[in-house]
Formats: sequence, C-alpha cells, structure tokens
Amino acid sequence: MFSEVNWYLITAMILCLIGVYGMVIKRNAIRIVIGIEILTSGIHLNFIALGVAVSPTQIVDVLAQTIVILSIVIGACVATVALMFIIQAYRHYGTIDVRRLRRLRW
Amino acid sequence: MEIPIVLQPILTLLAAAILVPVISFIGKALKSEKIREIFAVSGFIVAFYKVFILYEAVMSTPGHVIKYDLSGYGPPFGVVFTVDLLSVFMAFLFCGLGTMAAIFSVRYMEEDSGLDKYYALLCTMVAGMVGVVFAGDFFNFFVFWETMCISSYVLVAFRTGRWEPIEAGFKYLVMSTFGTLLVLYAMSLLYGLTGTLNFAYMAQAISSTSAASPVLYFILGLMIVGFGVSASIAPFHTWLPDAHPAAPSPISALLSGVVIKAGVYALCRISFLIFPLIHFHWGILIGIISVLTMTVGNILALWQNDVKRLLAYSSIAQIGYILVGVAAGTQLGLTGTIFHIFNHALMKGAAFLCAGAFIYRAETRMLHELSGIGRRMPISTITLSIALFGLIGMPPLNGFISKLILFTSAFLSPGMVWLAVAGVVNSAISAAYYLRFIVVLIRHEPAGKIAMFKEAPITMLAPICVMAAFIILFGIWPQPILDFAQEAAASLLRPEAYISAVRGGL
Repeated sequence: MFSEVNWYLITAMILCLIGVYGMVIKRNAIRIVIGIEILTSGIHLNFIALGVAVSPTQIVDVLAQTIVILSIVIGACVATVALMFIIQAYRHYGTIDVRRLRRLRW
Repeated sequence: MEIPIVLQPILTLLAAAILVPVISFIGKALKSEKIREIFAVSGFIVAFYKVFILYEAVMSTPGHVIKYDLSGYGPPFGVVFTVDLLSVFMAFLFCGLGTMAAIFSVRYMEEDSGLDKYYALLCTMVAGMVGVVFAGDFFNFFVFWETMCISSYVLVAFRTGRWEPIEAGFKYLVMSTFGTLLVLYAMSLLYGLTGTLNFAYMAQAISSTSAASPVLYFILGLMIVGFGVSASIAPFHTWLPDAHPAAPSPISALLSGVVIKAGVYALCRISFLIFPLIHFHWGILIGIISVLTMTVGNILALWQNDVKRLLAYSSIAQIGYILVGVAAGTQLGLTGTIFHIFNHALMKGAAFLCAGAFIYRAETRMLHELSGIGRRMPISTITLSIALFGLIGMPPLNGFISKLILFTSAFLSPGMVWLAVAGVVNSAISAAYYLRFIVVLIRHEPAGKIAMFKEAPITMLAPICVMAAFIILFGIWPQPILDFAQEAAASLLRPEAYISAVRGGL
C-alpha cells in the first residue's frame, strides 16, 4: 500500500541526495556547509514522518521529535565550527574555494 | 542526592571541563603556576578511578551488564545507559590515555595561548568517548558521539595561526559529519522499522522479523560506511593522514589511539547486537574492507617523509588488523580485536608522544631533518623503538600476542585463510618503514643544531616511559588484559544477556 507517509520519505531522500550532491560536487566552502544543512534537514524530515508512521494510535511519537530538536542543536554547533574554519581559511588564502586549499596532499 | 555510579566518570570529566576556566582564573589571581594543568590531570585520574569502581560494580552484577535509566521513563522511550564489560574496557582505555596525553600536554603546550579551552575540550572529548561506550540507545549515543566529534574538530585546528590545521580541520569536519549524518539517516530508518531507538529493543524487534530484507542491508551498509569514516577504513581514510599530523602531538596520540577506536567500537556494537552475523553474513565484507585498509595504509606509509604522517598511515593499517578479528566473528577473533585495540592505543599513543618530544625540541616533522637526533635524546628514542617494534609485532612485546591471536582466528575460520595471509604479508611490509624510521634517527652522528639538543623534559618523558613499560609488561605477562579482553569479547557475542538486562529479564 502506497501510504501518505511515503511521499514524505521520498521527499526526505531527495533532500538527502541534494545535500550529498552539495557536499561532494560543490567547491565553495559555504556551499558545502549548506549541503550539510540540507542533508540534515532531509534526515529530520525522515524522522518526523516516521514518527507519525510508527505510532499505533493517532498520537505522534514524541521520541522522533525529541531527537530532531536535539539534532538541530548539534547541527548548529557543527555549522558554527565549520564557519569558523571558513573564516580562518579566508584569512589565510583570501578565498573560500576548496580547490585552492591544495597544500594538503589529498 | 547521590550521583549514579554509571554517570560518575562522564560527569567527572564534564565537571572538570566546566571548572578548568574557573580554576585557571583563580590560579592567575593567586599567581600560582600550572594549577590549571594539575587540575585537568587530576580530573582524568579521578575519572579513571570512577571507571574502576564501575568495573567492580559490573563484575558483581549477574550477567555483567548494568542498566541505568536517566529519566523516569522506562527503556523503550527513556534515555538508557547500558554498561557491560566491553564498555568498561574501552572506558579504561580512554581515561588512561587521556591522563597520559594531559600530562604530556603540560610542557608541550605551554607556549600556546587559550589553554583553558584546550584542557576543557580535552575533557569533553574524553567524556564524549566514555559516553559513546556507555550509551544504551541511539539518542544518547548520537549526543555523545557529536560531543566527541566537535571537540576533536576544534582540537585538530587548535593552532589557528598556521594553514595546515585549518585545512585539515575543515576536511576532517566535512568528512566526519558526512559519516555521522549517514549513521543518523540509518538510525531514522531503523526507528521507522522498529519504533524504538533503544539498542536492545531494536535487536529484539529485528531478530523477531524472519527474513533479512533489502532495507536492512541498506541500513547496515549505511552504518558500516558511516562508522567507517570515523574508524578510517579504506575508501574513507583520506581525512586521517591530514588531521592527525596537523593536531598538537598529545591530541594526535588521543585521536589515533582512541577516537578511531570509538568508531570500531560502534561498528562492533551495532553489527553484533542488531545485525547478528548468522543472519546477515557481513563477515566477508568486513574481511575485504580489512585487507584493503591494511594494504592502503602500509603501502602509503612507505612513501612518507613526515614523521607524524607516517604514524597516521600506520594507524590506518592497524585498523585493518583490528578488523580481521571482527571479520572472523569468533570468540578468539574478537578477543584479538579487543586486545589489539588496547595494544594499539598504548603503542601508537607512545609513538606519537615520542614524535611530539622530537618536534618539541627540533620544531620540524621531516624525518631527514631529524637525522641523528636519537644520539642526543636517547630515552625518547629507546621508548619510540619499543613502541615501533611493538607495532611491527616483535615477539617479546604486546603487539606480537594480539597479532598472533588475530591471524590465528582468521586462519581457523572457514574461508578466511586469505585474511591471515594478507595480514602476515602486510606486517612484513610494515617493518620496512618502521625500521627505516629508527635507523634514520640513530645512524649518523648529528650535525648542525641537532648536536646541541638535550633530552625532553621530565613531564614529557614520564608518560612515555610508563607506556613503554606497559608495552613490555603486557608483552611478557599478557594474562590480565587477555582475560579481560576474553570476557569483553564474550559479552559482545552474548547479546541475549545485554537484551535481557535492558528489557528486565523478559
């Protein structure tokens, strides 16, 4: 049965794929961070949708919402650290293009 | 109110992290030097002692599993800590190596500014790792995992004045976050299938469904890749050789010694508890990954001229050896895995700290510029040689015993003989770069400014010498650690005890 929840799950997966695309393909450091955020949002949507689906009654499962709120907070921490790195990198190189950050041997 | 025994090690470290800036402020007012460092080190020692108390409590419990509900709610929904012998073993390792790294940092980091943040982050990183091994559900696990990861990103890039830590830190952040998010996605799918985030209830729900469906394989794959990024298994290892050398040496020792082991722990815990080997047959996959990881690590390490980079590549190779036992999936193999986790933490920790001692004096990481330094810093060089001989697997040292167990277990498992052969061949390759390292250090009479160098200060030598002594001691007398590792492996292979402890004997 193709229930309503599946639309949310498919949307979540598309969001995740967009996020992965942003992280892997994009060369602008800010865009990589945006990719991380989109990927996180996709996972959050997945959690919320499944929280509705797994509940046997009409009540939405609180566990999913709790972990999503927690994950938003953690995501903010990660984004802060990432942007801090980008600011520092910009001070050293004058660019946020990750192709220029080539002094490491990849 | 009495603090529960399970939370005590974590809370000790977190309290130390919060109090370090306060103590430092008081220390500045009183003009007493080093009070902050003494406080941080004593925090680690107290945490180690708390883990020891917890160990005795676990041993006195029937079934050797302690469960603690953090909130008033029961296990399917509430936050649960579950501690078994494997958790305690890992926690011992984290707190022990944390203590050594903190003692080493006292002199190594004294020239840096912002040391309040450094010691606070060191404490939160170890607290996060201890939390990861104590967590009984994904909720808890995820929070502590990210605590550990975020602290280590910042610690890798602690010296923001140079380009290398920034770049390495950014690369580490992007790759490790990607891995964590894959795990989170897998968690959400598992939650959708089982309706819970608790490990034990999840395992119960999955084992009650009869067939291994494609969705479960997809989830298992996401988990292996996600934790594999943190554990630096082969196709996802590229962050490690940049991040570990760029960090300050005590942090490199912790990252290589224990942080990647947290990834291995998570992989073992999830795969043995939720995806039993007999249903899901992931042994062969882990075997292939293991051979790939050790080969890539060893071959690339041959090329390196940077001391810390060489040790970082050797860490990748050692993760390959550790996975051999997981691939075998037997009692013997897991004993070897856990024993090698312990040994590698000791050996690689000692090796990175010795490299740190050279870097502290010579201010270079290039091997050819360190030529002959061994004649001026004999104690560091001897301990480094002990650690490197241990990593090769020379007989009187502890690395030999764990490697012997690992390769024997692969040899005894049906269809896994190639794994043992690959491991032995790789050990032979690895001898080449370890021996070259030692030879360069001692062969020539030192020239130039190296001739004037003195031995490293005593607070650096003390942790190194203690670790070298342990390497020799547990090589000659491995029985206590071996017994502990055996029981920890048994607790990993007995998910029923774990599940029934959480579910309350159902």
